[in-house]
Amino acid sequence: MKRKSALLSLLFIALIILSAIFAPLISPFNPSEQFKDGLTLQGAPIAPSGKYLLGTDLLGRDLLSRLIYGARTSLIVGIIANGVAVIVGTTIGLLAGFLRGRLGNLIMRFTDLMMAFPALLLAITLSAIFSPSLLIVALVISMVNWVQIARVIYTQTISIAEREYVLATKGLGATNNRVITRHILPHLLPTVLVYTTLGIATTVLLEATLSFLGVGVRPPTPSWGNIIFENQTYFITAPWLVFIPGLAIVLLALSFNLLGDALRDELDPTQRGLS
Amino acid sequence: MARYILNRLTQTFFILIGVSFITFMLLYILPADPAVQIAGRSATPDTVESIRRELGLDKPLFVQYFNYMINLLQGDLGRSYLQKSEVGTLILSRLGPTISLMFFAILAELILGLFAGVVAAIYRGKKLDKGLMIGSFVTVSAPQFIVSILVLYVFAVKLGWFPIGGYGKPIHYVLPALTLGILGSGWYSRVMRSSMLDVLRQDYIRTARAKGASQKRVIIRHALKNAILPIVAMIGLDIGIFMGGIVVVESVFGWPGIGQLAWQAIQRVDIPIIMGVTLVSAVFIVLGNLFADLVSPFIDPRIRLKK
Amino acid sequence: MTSILKLSNIRKEFTGTSKKPIIAIDHVSLSVERGKTLGIVGESGSGKSTLGRIMLRLAEPTSGTIEFNGEDLLARNPREMRAIRSKIQMIFQDPMASLDPRMTVRELVREPLDIHKIGTVEERNRAVEEIAKSVGIAQDALEKYPHEFSGGQRQRISIARAVINRPELIVADEPVSALDVSIQAQILNLLRSLKEELNLTFVFISHDLSVVRYFADEVAVMYLGNIVEYAPTEEIFSNPKHPYTQALISAVPHISTDAKRERIILTGDIPSPTDLPSGCHFHTRCPIAKDICSTETPKFEQVAPSHLASCLLLASKGTKA
Repeated sequence: MKRKSALLSLLFIALIILSAIFAPLISPFNPSEQFKDGLTLQGAPIAPSGKYLLGTDLLGRDLLSRLIYGARTSLIVGIIANGVAVIVGTTIGLLAGFLRGRLGNLIMRFTDLMMAFPALLLAITLSAIFSPSLLIVALVISMVNWVQIARVIYTQTISIAEREYVLATKGLGATNNRVITRHILPHLLPTVLVYTTLGIATTVLLEATLSFLGVGVRPPTPSWGNIIFENQTYFITAPWLVFIPGLAIVLLALSFNLLGDALRDELDPTQRGLS
Repeated sequence: MARYILNRLTQTFFILIGVSFITFMLLYILPADPAVQIAGRSATPDTVESIRRELGLDKPLFVQYFNYMINLLQGDLGRSYLQKSEVGTLILSRLGPTISLMFFAILAELILGLFAGVVAAIYRGKKLDKGLMIGSFVTVSAPQFIVSILVLYVFAVKLGWFPIGGYGKPIHYVLPALTLGILGSGWYSRVMRSSMLDVLRQDYIRTARAKGASQKRVIIRHALKNAILPIVAMIGLDIGIFMGGIVVVESVFGWPGIGQLAWQAIQRVDIPIIMGVTLVSAVFIVLGNLFADLVSPFIDPRIRLKK
Repeated sequence: MTSILKLSNIRKEFTGTSKKPIIAIDHVSLSVERGKTLGIVGESGSGKSTLGRIMLRLAEPTSGTIEFNGEDLLARNPREMRAIRSKIQMIFQDPMASLDPRMTVRELVREPLDIHKIGTVEERNRAVEEIAKSVGIAQDALEKYPHEFSGGQRQRISIARAVINRPELIVADEPVSALDVSIQAQILNLLRSLKEELNLTFVFISHDLSVVRYFADEVAVMYLGNIVEYAPTEEIFSNPKHPYTQALISAVPHISTDAKRERIILTGDIPSPTDLPSGCHFHTRCPIAKDICSTETPKFEQVAPSHLASCLLLASKGTKA
């Protein structure tokens, strides 16, 4: 059952990635183009129908097109944010775990400190104040996300560093550099992979939330979150503008979560969350 | 044991100091000048300067931080840049709605989550179990604002059973608490399920000779008592998680709590309020974690023995 | 008759979770002669494995000095230590744990050469193939992973790895204890032939007396962090002086036609290393202990030609040469 859901997740993720890459080819319209016939006579969005498969938004733009281009934004921000978080978190966790002692302890105390912060609040504040750009949003998100992976890598590194083959390699006269890159890091990779996958789910959700509040990716660049933000006043009369992007967000995050969970089972049965 | 408690308390104290320092630094480096904001667009440079001096913004960084900390220890969280009231008072007035919502939210999470977890454990392997577990993944994968809007749409707009947001009467609690309950239930249900399975495995072996369906009832009730233990510590963590994310729910439902206060302050770059809410949230997070840490050894004797 | 390794007054304490330190090694001084094999015998908890690691500085002693080829090992900085490491190697007890499961046999055996940048890559690979032959690893095994092999073969891989860079001294920590008895003999013979071929000096740590007897030139017996007896192999087996050694030897299955030997059974449990007994550490289990043994600490001194032991009762009646 797990395998099946993981496979479906992988397929969905692949679908979204391909859509994002080939957006110009598969998108029916230009996402920024406001169509005259995209609004009703009263100026309201049009429901899903004929020409506009998923309907239009408050400015008469085709929702499907915006959704396809929005996949780009959500994925780019999600992947960059997560990539930075994973790199920073793994490096810090690895160093702290390998060096141990005072420095390692200090680093871990610092992560305790970071965990005391109301992350979302901070992310919102920083996003709101700095000039809006995909990169800034991604960096802000990664700032609040690196801590979890650092802690996991820290405990893993300590356990690996105590293994006899690490001692044996040191006994051969290997430099710390060699021990870390050739003997510790390869053993950390499965965990890194699992947390990278799970992490993208979190970053996608965070970006959506920030954009929904209006402080993430700013319009007219479409992001699944800011489509909902722009159209919230129409949510009663044109609910598809909220729920279709919403569904997309949930499905993408769900796919990454299911995939990550299945990977975790595969690569390290001792860390199973669900059994 | 006492040493462990003392240790954690000292740690908590230093963490709070650290949080205040980092928050202060982060907001200090922001490219927004509060003096200009307060003075307004048409103010002359002199007015801006005098306001800056009044607020003590012309003093060096560490002096400002020092003053802030001194005031903090006396319970003074500063004064809002844009409103004429003290941050402390503002936060206090908004704390009530947030905390009462938190109470009902956690209650809802527990009811939904524990029930789902127990059912999933009992019907382990069957479709119901699988369905509930997929459901738990969905709740973890759904952003707060989506579920909030969905709940609003279904129960307030379409069915009309509840008002669309607002505050004041008990009925206003239902939808926000339900939303948070759904969102948080996934987490609890999974832990409850595996906890139940662990306990059931043991009890089942012990009472393997029991006959009949009535014994099953007894087993389940007994198992519940033990399985619920790890949940208690989770509640502590949950308080922290709740505080970390209230901005969204309070925004969507128009709930007059500190989340909404923070959101308004962010939009107007009212730094003292932002700092105040951040600090108060951090206090809750840290205390929640402390509770979880202190409670764990009592609940699980294995942890106690290690100390 | 040169000393390749000399330990003086080595002490090792571990600080555990409780306030009291664990005394793994109380007071050890010994000297290893070039070309010879020193066997270190003891039960688990005697500190022999810790001592083995300290010899390579894989663990730091709490106090004492280590001299390798006349040089003070503890004074070496990390870079110098790394260079010296090619001269002293260790063979570990559990070959599965000491081989990185993600590396092929070739990479594992070649690693000492890679680390010290010896020769070109082709030359290193050729060295790997040659040593594999000497050690009894098939050529097609080189691309496989450790988990695909049996315990004996994995130990061969460890041995190949240890000797490929022509070390001068090898510390073998229970190298055959994890293996089946039939394989033990093979590995011991391999070690023996390598010792001659490569002119190696060995420190052989084991709890198994019969194995040590087969392999070592001299034997040091350890108990609770101290050496209680030290003598050439045959001397210690035919003429054990310390009551602990006598008990150990009596427990070895032995078909003998000469003098009848009674099994000496020790009373009590091994004391905890956080709470060593007063006076002679062995007095709580010693069959011939007297009152004086719980108050005075015995000196490690000569009790016969080339034969040292630490027992108060021996000192009073032993012959001093």
